[in-house]
Amino acid sequence: MSTALKDLIRNPTVAELELVARYAALKADARRERLFEAFAQTGLPGRRAENWRWSDFKTAVGQLDTPKAPPARDPLARDGVSTLRFTPAGFVAPASLPAGLRLLAKEDVQAMGGAEEAPLGALAAALSGTVLVDVSAGAAVHLHMVFQGPGAINAARVVFLLRPGAQLHVSESHLGGAAFSTALVEFTLNKGAHLHRTLYQAGGADEAQAVTALIEQDEGAESVQTVLALGARIARIESRLVHRETGSKATLNAAYLAGAGRHADITTHVRHGAPACTTRQATKGAVLAGGRGVFQGKFLVPRTSGQQTDASMQHNALLLEEGAEVFAKPELEILADDVQCAHGNTSGALDGAQLFYLRQRGIPLAQARAMLTEAFIAEALEGAGELEEVLRHEAQAWLSHVS
Amino acid sequence: MLKIENLSATVGEGEGATAILHGLSLSVPTGEVHAIMGPNGAGKSTLSYVLTGREGYTVTGGTATLNGEDLLSLDPEARAAKGMFLSFQYPVEIPGVPVMTFVRTAMNAQRKARGEPEISAPEFIKKSREIAKVLSLDPEMLKRPVNVGFSGGEKKRLEIYQMMMLEPRFMVLDETDSGLDIDALRTVAEGVNALRSPERGMLVITHYQRLLDYIKPDKVHVLAKGRIIKTGGPELAHRLEAEGYDGVLAEAV
Repeated sequence: MSTALKDLIRNPTVAELELVARYAALKADARRERLFEAFAQTGLPGRRAENWRWSDFKTAVGQLDTPKAPPARDPLARDGVSTLRFTPAGFVAPASLPAGLRLLAKEDVQAMGGAEEAPLGALAAALSGTVLVDVSAGAAVHLHMVFQGPGAINAARVVFLLRPGAQLHVSESHLGGAAFSTALVEFTLNKGAHLHRTLYQAGGADEAQAVTALIEQDEGAESVQTVLALGARIARIESRLVHRETGSKATLNAAYLAGAGRHADITTHVRHGAPACTTRQATKGAVLAGGRGVFQGKFLVPRTSGQQTDASMQHNALLLEEGAEVFAKPELEILADDVQCAHGNTSGALDGAQLFYLRQRGIPLAQARAMLTEAFIAEALEGAGELEEVLRHEAQAWLSHVS
Repeated sequence: MLKIENLSATVGEGEGATAILHGLSLSVPTGEVHAIMGPNGAGKSTLSYVLTGREGYTVTGGTATLNGEDLLSLDPEARAAKGMFLSFQYPVEIPGVPVMTFVRTAMNAQRKARGEPEISAPEFIKKSREIAKVLSLDPEMLKRPVNVGFSGGEKKRLEIYQMMMLEPRFMVLDETDSGLDIDALRTVAEGVNALRSPERGMLVITHYQRLLDYIKPDKVHVLAKGRIIKTGGPELAHRLEAEGYDGVLAEAV
């Protein structure tokens, strides 16, 4: 390794040195270099960066060894839906693709906007090739994606282009199986396009996972995103969305359930870059002793482009036990004057009166807690449509397992 | 038989604890309906919560048994499985949990605790439909989250619905008449009376005699300052209504 490479990151950790070595082994490419440099500015982000102070990847990502845990089950897998697999050994295309969809897997790197603001997304792009998916107008297209080990590092990038009027239902399972997984998923929604994205994340106590989504929406485009995150040693689901033409609508819902030794971070950034756009966001969380939940939500509404914005942000967390931790930062930066923006943020324990009511009817304490917690997070999963039941089932399984 | 002997209890924790019940004794034989009347702050609701095991109440003396089995050492859910049911003065809203799901979960949890088989879905639905009819409950209401958006009268009727579904061995009705108009009161009383049986006891806690015109008690107890100070037949309720608590209380001292 050349001295120049070693010096890319100041005071590198063991993991960062290994990431540099990975990068150095790849074919030289000006775009790849630019993206890796964008990552290297921060290195693995941690406490020193404002947006990462509660989710410290620098400390959490240790030696990049293949985890020992058996492969996790994929609850979103279903027959008859084409599946894209992203593994440490590379991308595996499905045997067949639905009509209206074209796929191109390239070894070289595509440029990425805003790389400095999403260091782990830039890293994913720098360490992988690019899978391009083009969705044309017509009937709704269903697609499933799995990101899973085994391996040390799983870096993946997939770029979707939804042509005018296209409709895509995409499900994603981020199942870990690697010491460090980082995925960059990009969506461009042309005029009137619809994106329905459902994401499930679960990882082991010795795994780090980052999922970065960049979403850009044109006139009248609509996206509905639903996340169920069970966390990992550290896991971050970050979504950065731009309404860039009028009448664009977005729903960004998420539920996180963090048990002992698990960290689940839901971070979103929405820019109202055009008038009369709508954003609805509901995030619900439940955390046990030794678990940590993080919610960071930001709406940016510029003075001229953001007029007639209609946006609301809710985050509600349940601390199920002493020793559970939740950090939340809802942030509304509103410079336009003709807008409707609401936000709410709560965290607390289960309601004692509700618990007693259930127990008086004969429902045991553990089951009563599980029922109330499930009901609490259910609202955040309602947008998942046909996959809502699957996500609820996973949430129930988590609740029955821990209580 | 529900047997309460010399029961004392406090509400609140540590230095803030307040004594509410002071050596309360009371027996309700199986098959009988007893009423407890008393002024505000006498300890009526505290008694209902102590009997059902609500957190925040501490028993400082005495015993309470149902059919010879100790209640006070059991968790609320275990008491429920033994047949204790409380119709709440203020029924609690449970957003996100539909009534039918809630009651079926409760019923099966109780059955499991007693070593009985679960109720089948068709059997449950049939029973639910019959009881909803008796109580003039809209079946659509039973698909909605428990008590969310229900009127005061609907909430009370839903308490009686749960009671009729769960068929407890002993029922405590805490101010079931509060917030009810006369028609709703009659419907609720019909439901309660349908549950009167030689195998079941009932304690009706109320402020007013009105409810007792519809649910006729075998005995009436007057609760004041944490103790039963007078016991009589149904005529005692009428006396209280006519003379107020002051007269009866003065006589008892």
